Amino acid sequence: MTAPVVVEGLTKVFYDEARGEVRAVDGVTFSCHAGEIFGLLGANGAGKTTTLRMIATVLAPTAGRAAVMGHDVTREAEAARRCLGFYSATTALYPRLTARETLEFFARINGVEASRIAARVEALVERFGLGEYADTRVDKLSSGMKQKVSVARTVAHDPPVLVFDEPTVGLDVLNALEMQKVIAEFRAEGKAIIFSTHIMSEAERLCDRIAIIHRGTIHACDTLQRLREATGKRYLEDIFVHYVAPAAPAG
Amino acid sequence: MDRPIVAAIYRNEMRHLLRDRRTVVMSIVLPLLVMPIMLFGSRWVEQRRQAKLQRSVFQVAVAGSQGEVVRQLLTAAEAATAAKGEPFRFREAAVADPDRALADKAVALVLRGLTAAEATAGTAEVGEGETGGGERSARSEPLLPGAPVVEIAYRGDRDDSEQAYRTLRGVLEEVRRQQRHARLVAAGFPGDPAGVVTVASVNVATAGQVAGLTLGRLVTVLLLLFMLSGGAVVATDSLAGEKERGTLETLLTSGAGRLDIVAAKLAAIFSVALLITLIQVANLLVYVGFELIPAPQDFAAAVPPRVAGLLLLLYLPMTALVAAALLLLSGYARSYKEAQLHFFPVFLLGLLPALAPLLPGVELRSAIVLVPIANVAVAAKEILVGVFDWPMLVLTFLVNAAAAAYLAVLAARALSNERLIAPLAVESERVPGPVAFQRKVLRNFAIMWAVLLVLAANMTADADIRVQIAVNLGVVFLGGTLLQLRAYRLDPREVFALRPVRPIVWLAVLVGAPAGLLTGLGVFQLANLVVPVPPEMLRAFGEILAPPDMPFWQIALFLCVMPGVIEELTFRGALLHGLRRRLHPVALALVVGLVFGLFHTSLFRIAPTAFLGVLFAAVTLLTGSIFPAMVWHALNNLLALAAGRAGIPLESLDPPLLAAAALILAAVFWILWRTRTVYPDLRGASPPGSRPVPFR
Repeated sequence: MTAPVVVEGLTKVFYDEARGEVRAVDGVTFSCHAGEIFGLLGANGAGKTTTLRMIATVLAPTAGRAAVMGHDVTREAEAARRCLGFYSATTALYPRLTARETLEFFARINGVEASRIAARVEALVERFGLGEYADTRVDKLSSGMKQKVSVARTVAHDPPVLVFDEPTVGLDVLNALEMQKVIAEFRAEGKAIIFSTHIMSEAERLCDRIAIIHRGTIHACDTLQRLREATGKRYLEDIFVHYVAPAAPAG
Repeated sequence: MDRPIVAAIYRNEMRHLLRDRRTVVMSIVLPLLVMPIMLFGSRWVEQRRQAKLQRSVFQVAVAGSQGEVVRQLLTAAEAATAAKGEPFRFREAAVADPDRALADKAVALVLRGLTAAEATAGTAEVGEGETGGGERSARSEPLLPGAPVVEIAYRGDRDDSEQAYRTLRGVLEEVRRQQRHARLVAAGFPGDPAGVVTVASVNVATAGQVAGLTLGRLVTVLLLLFMLSGGAVVATDSLAGEKERGTLETLLTSGAGRLDIVAAKLAAIFSVALLITLIQVANLLVYVGFELIPAPQDFAAAVPPRVAGLLLLLYLPMTALVAAALLLLSGYARSYKEAQLHFFPVFLLGLLPALAPLLPGVELRSAIVLVPIANVAVAAKEILVGVFDWPMLVLTFLVNAAAAAYLAVLAARALSNERLIAPLAVESERVPGPVAFQRKVLRNFAIMWAVLLVLAANMTADADIRVQIAVNLGVVFLGGTLLQLRAYRLDPREVFALRPVRPIVWLAVLVGAPAGLLTGLGVFQLANLVVPVPPEMLRAFGEILAPPDMPFWQIALFLCVMPGVIEELTFRGALLHGLRRRLHPVALALVVGLVFGLFHTSLFRIAPTAFLGVLFAAVTLLTGSIFPAMVWHALNNLLALAAGRAGIPLESLDPPLLAAAALILAAVFWILWRTRTVYPDLRGASPPGSRPVPFR
């Protein structure tokens, strides 16, 4: 059986007016299995977000391919998206909907059967402890509550694949820890999770496998243990620098 | 398309909109309140003004050698007014300098009594100083030899003076008529009444039709105004607002397809635009009903329910088109603010075609039927005067529906355009150079176009054609182009594609120029079979206006060489170079041709010149050089001129000849294609990844 997420030679070339062609992602290959958190670790501008946006079908790859649950992201973009939940610090909520309406809306447009929507929404309200605030408009919620609603809407249709693009950016410590906890729970439920971050401790703590991405290419990809063995370094920071340093300093 | 998903997004869109109280107030409640306030307010002000002017007594100064005649006339006028039981509202004021008194507002009018001789000379002390500076209206009648003249000097820029003038003139003319009548009768009127013809007129159009014309000319602009302003409320929020809030990315990563999203949003904008338009129309009708707004006579007769239904049917695809245009605008804006900024020009541009029925003699059965919005406007006018051209009405409906669908697809595509949805983190530097030029070239040409329009509007029709050409070509085209070269520090050899070509190209150009001219005519004659092409448009091909007395060398210079060189440098040089990386070569040629057409401000010359523009662009792209297009262009103009001089009516040549020309043109392009030296650095010319630039 193929992995829930398969990425092969994925490449994205932008034509930037000032700099000409920019290879934001250059031949990235990896796969992510069910019940695994696959980490993309890289500095800002390394190509993490572009890679994840291609997997989420927001951007079209220039070359290479990616498939989510066997659906090619270019040819079967809608089918791929229905198997996927995408969360990032920039994926916002509709401010004038209530939490319950938000979940209902996203369940509906992700193709959950009409008869099952109400039950699914209740289950989500229950699970994320939204009960008291379920009928409050999102713009009236605290940032912590918003974050919960946001995560709940990501899994509104119970997708087998989850993509978290720097989910803890801008969160305070407690909320960031809460986020990590929730992501770990999803892993326990057997979801295939791709998680990008530039924070070493987060990757160390959460990821089953880590891909070090720099200037659009993956320089190393393995479990933390094997990376340690391969480099002879203990801390992820050192491992990161070990792989990244030979390629001239990041711009 | 997935209907439940479209419905869900539509509901979400509407819910989100209705919960924004400010928007609802601004777009629905406010106009509902503003209309009556404006109406009542302006009526009140106007009534007050009228009442004040009705009550006032105007001071007038009497001047001139025949002052006594004036006083007698005033006395007669007072008597005549009193006979009708109305107050006489003019008093003579004794002033030393009547003209100064008029300027100082001490008097409302100066009545100047002149002898016939003075009046004929026309110079009697008026014509100097402030009071005599304005226009002198023609006398109401020819001068009677020997009869004195009373001249009324007034200030058209002052309410009181203007009002005094209107009232007094009416009274004085009435008195004059009475006096003349009395004298004629006293003299026994020695004439045969049969020799005096009474002119009567009768308008055979029904009052409903007349009202229909008035209404028909304006109804589309008015509705469009409502649609645009109503639809914009949702549209700006729709994609641009979602981008700004960050919800667009959330939506794009959901299971909904791009087309589903666009369809739902289109439906939302459409229904809001329609709803607000209907509310506003109903609002308007209420005031018409209360007679607060003067409606044309027989207003109701002009719009029976059947006609109203037909109009509504025609306006539906136009509403969809407006909605799609607004959505596209919103999709291309990167933020709410940017969308608002771009809205105003689109708003003005959108209203423009709706003014088509104001053009004299425009009929739906002409090329106008292919212009979205303009065709609806003209159709509405025809329907309202009772003309139902069914095939053209169906075509009108289809054209607008197709345009709406096309814009909707563009909007869906904008949702896949990474530059628009996920702008690169790094903004390109704003330094002058080729990159900035590419970004700004269309804007710069729009400015040049506006300058050209302003100049054209201000140039008198009888200005020397040489001056017109020198200004348009030398100042606007060449000046604008050189300015851009300077501003962006560009290399003229690159921009103007000043490169040598193979000798065979010259042969192709020599054969191609006449073939191109005739093929253009053929294409439009062919189009004429499907849609009537105005004869003016066909004529515009061969017609290059040259005054018959212009010497040949001047014709060759002003009408052939200068356009050939300067227009090519401008359009196939700068414009084509600036757009070469932004458009696929085929689209590039079309756009360059179209812009070239638009720069020919005469309506009927747009299409023919656009056709030629596309040819020239294609030649430039295939030879990588500007020179062949220059020569072709000059030759084309020379041939058209020569044909005109020789009296050959180009627009009525035989179809077989034109078909042969088309074949020759095809052969010419085949040769150009086989021997091509493609224009460098075109979009899509180099495969992605051939020139890797490291990402920083």
